[in-house]
Amino acid sequence: MVDIYLVGVGGQGIITASRIVGDAAILAGKNVLLSETHGMAQRGGSVVCTARIGDVSSPIIPDGQADAILSFELLETLRALCKTSKKTVVVSSTERIVPLSVSTQKLRYPVPEEIESEVLKVAGSYALVDAPSLSRSAGVPMSSNVVMTGALAGTGITGIGREFYERALEMNVPKRIQENLAAFSLGFDAVLRK
Amino acid sequence: MDRILEAAPGSKVLLLGNEAIARAALEAGVAVATTYPGTPASEIGDTLARVAKDAGIYFEYSANEMVATEVAIGAAASGVRALVSMKHVGVNVAADALLTFAYTGTRGGFVLVTADDPSCHSSQNEQDNRYYALLAGIPLLEPSSPQECLEMTRQAFDISEKLELPVLLRTTTRISHVRGPVVVGEVKPGLKKKEFVKDPTRFVTVPAVARSRHLVLLQKLVEAEGLANISPLNKVVKIGIGGKLGIVASSAAFNYSVDAATYLKLDIDILKLGFSHPLPSRLIVEFLKDHDAVAVVEELEPVLETAIRAVAQREGLETRVLGKADGILSRAHELDQAIVSAALVNAFGLRLPELTPAPQIPPVPVRPPVLCAGCPHSATYYAVSKATNKKAVFASDIGCYTLGLGKPYEAADLLVCMGSSVGTAGGLAKVNDQPVIAFIGDSTFFHAGIPGLINAVHNGHKFLLMILDNRTTAMTGHQPHPGSEKGPTCCDITSVSIEEVVTGCGVKWLKVVDPYDVKTTIDSVKEGMAQPGISVIISRRECALIAKRDEKGAILGKRFIDQDACKKCRTCVDRFQCPAISSLDKVQSIDDVLCAGCGVCEQVCPYKAIKEAK
Repeated sequence: MVDIYLVGVGGQGIITASRIVGDAAILAGKNVLLSETHGMAQRGGSVVCTARIGDVSSPIIPDGQADAILSFELLETLRALCKTSKKTVVVSSTERIVPLSVSTQKLRYPVPEEIESEVLKVAGSYALVDAPSLSRSAGVPMSSNVVMTGALAGTGITGIGREFYERALEMNVPKRIQENLAAFSLGFDAVLRK
Repeated sequence: MDRILEAAPGSKVLLLGNEAIARAALEAGVAVATTYPGTPASEIGDTLARVAKDAGIYFEYSANEMVATEVAIGAAASGVRALVSMKHVGVNVAADALLTFAYTGTRGGFVLVTADDPSCHSSQNEQDNRYYALLAGIPLLEPSSPQECLEMTRQAFDISEKLELPVLLRTTTRISHVRGPVVVGEVKPGLKKKEFVKDPTRFVTVPAVARSRHLVLLQKLVEAEGLANISPLNKVVKIGIGGKLGIVASSAAFNYSVDAATYLKLDIDILKLGFSHPLPSRLIVEFLKDHDAVAVVEELEPVLETAIRAVAQREGLETRVLGKADGILSRAHELDQAIVSAALVNAFGLRLPELTPAPQIPPVPVRPPVLCAGCPHSATYYAVSKATNKKAVFASDIGCYTLGLGKPYEAADLLVCMGSSVGTAGGLAKVNDQPVIAFIGDSTFFHAGIPGLINAVHNGHKFLLMILDNRTTAMTGHQPHPGSEKGPTCCDITSVSIEEVVTGCGVKWLKVVDPYDVKTTIDSVKEGMAQPGISVIISRRECALIAKRDEKGAILGKRFIDQDACKKCRTCVDRFQCPAISSLDKVQSIDDVLCAGCGVCEQVCPYKAIKEAK
């Protein structure tokens, strides 16, 4: 059983990323359960999706139980740490989206180094992926989520072969598929190099 | 390829619980499907809207849940199959139709899907709609997974036709919005037309008919309990080797119970109730007799627990029944496997395995949902706060615009339900000396705002009603409403003019403004508030998310902050709210990717430091 906790900000394409993981799992002959955030919560707020690969009944991942955190935004990486343990692989985009609470209540957005040190205190490993640049260089600037899905696949933690992810990508992102496959590949390699 | 319609019988596809319900309706040969969108039910209707034409069914987004239910009743009473779906609070609107339809009963299968929202992820309350099955006296099915959403929806139609009763299919957020593998069946054409056979002593519920039909309903409930007792939807699942401890669970609570019992390494039996009303008493008695102690695990209200305790008392059984009355679980908020594990440990006096404590992390700045970049509501609220200096009482309503409640606008003081802004504004205005402004969205206005407006005109209420017309039902995923130009795939629709409705209700002062024109909007609000009676402003501008989606090329009119001209006055972040504008390390800037090019911030800036990017 592998539990993936996907987090980010409404509008970053997190549901699509979780669907790619879900379809890849089924193509690879595994069971999978995904849970999604819809409705009011999506409007620029913190968004959480879960992907539980294997034979489980409930879609929720309890605190301290995630095998991997896939985060699309740095502050949300920090927020997701309650789900980690020393065995957790944390993969995070370098993207920063400043929440209104920072702009208006003068709260502080921690610098990336502080976030890294907090992650390493509680989690097993930490990989940073410059998803915005990689998606731009693949020619699909809106596909940071595809880059991050590639990064998750690159860690090997899901036990799902790359070819299944690529087929799932074609099912879920049929438009500009060549560019998106390139974006996936850049994410995959970014984590492999670590 | 649309996986909902094209998936081959027997193939395994990844489906959302809601999509599985839609697919099942097609497999059941549904003829008519209706809805009013609402999270977490929306994707049932959206899926059917998308495939309606190819599937040869009639689908509509109805004006509200009551009308949706009535349209489906008309079809089902004639003899075809009908599905109506809505969020839990929608059933309150539909209840008037549903409760008496239980008396007349149906000819074609009739399934009402209620998607409940424990923990209020996207709702104003977390009412437990299983009570509606008890209140109406109709069968209740509760799926636990996407696969069961498919199977139970199909069976719901069969049960409905067998008993000639409407059937309630109840999901929750963690059922409707869970995606998992589903082995699909075959899409069947089904009967699409049927001439209504007149039978007024059944279908016209004058008092004499209603009295006799109530007796028929009670008899059918006895028959329904017989079906529940032998239904494969109710079954015992063994964890480990089973034993003398038991759990009764339904819906998502069943999933948490399985995971909790597995985690605790218990040998325990779980009676899973999928067909839970009428309560299958015979099964309950057998299960209680076979076990020393039984915990009832359910979300929200103790519906099963109360009924099971009554059965135990009636039968004189000594099995310990444990549940919310014993304080092992709360009546508030959704459960998870950790909560259920703790409840089982508590109920059965077990030892909780050693837990690794959740890691301690420093406080993280909150990120609640906000109005989007370019949102016309944000522009309207800015204008209203300038025009009133916030010295007004704001009656709000259900939609994205409720997000105006926080700083900087604080434009929501009272909100209870769909359409309530118009009604509550009348009451507020009668007893307050402060001016009253009501906000309502276009879709919500059509849903439940119109009777309130007629009432306000007729009874001489004095307030300003602002109809925030973004041309769509935005919050739930941009579904059309009666004012829209484009509807579902199957059918042509006619756009209903909000202006004509408003003037038709008898309103004498009406103005239409573009909220992106800040000055005109401010002046219009001032003018509207000065009117002696009811005044209406339609603040019209398409939802920024649709406008963006329709854009072929780059978004035009993106703005930036000229840092040389910026006086750091913070007006753009403290008085106006836009997620594209942020203030980090005392520097205000506009995110070039997020900016929607509305240009409102340029009008907000007192120093002309915000400029259009060339």
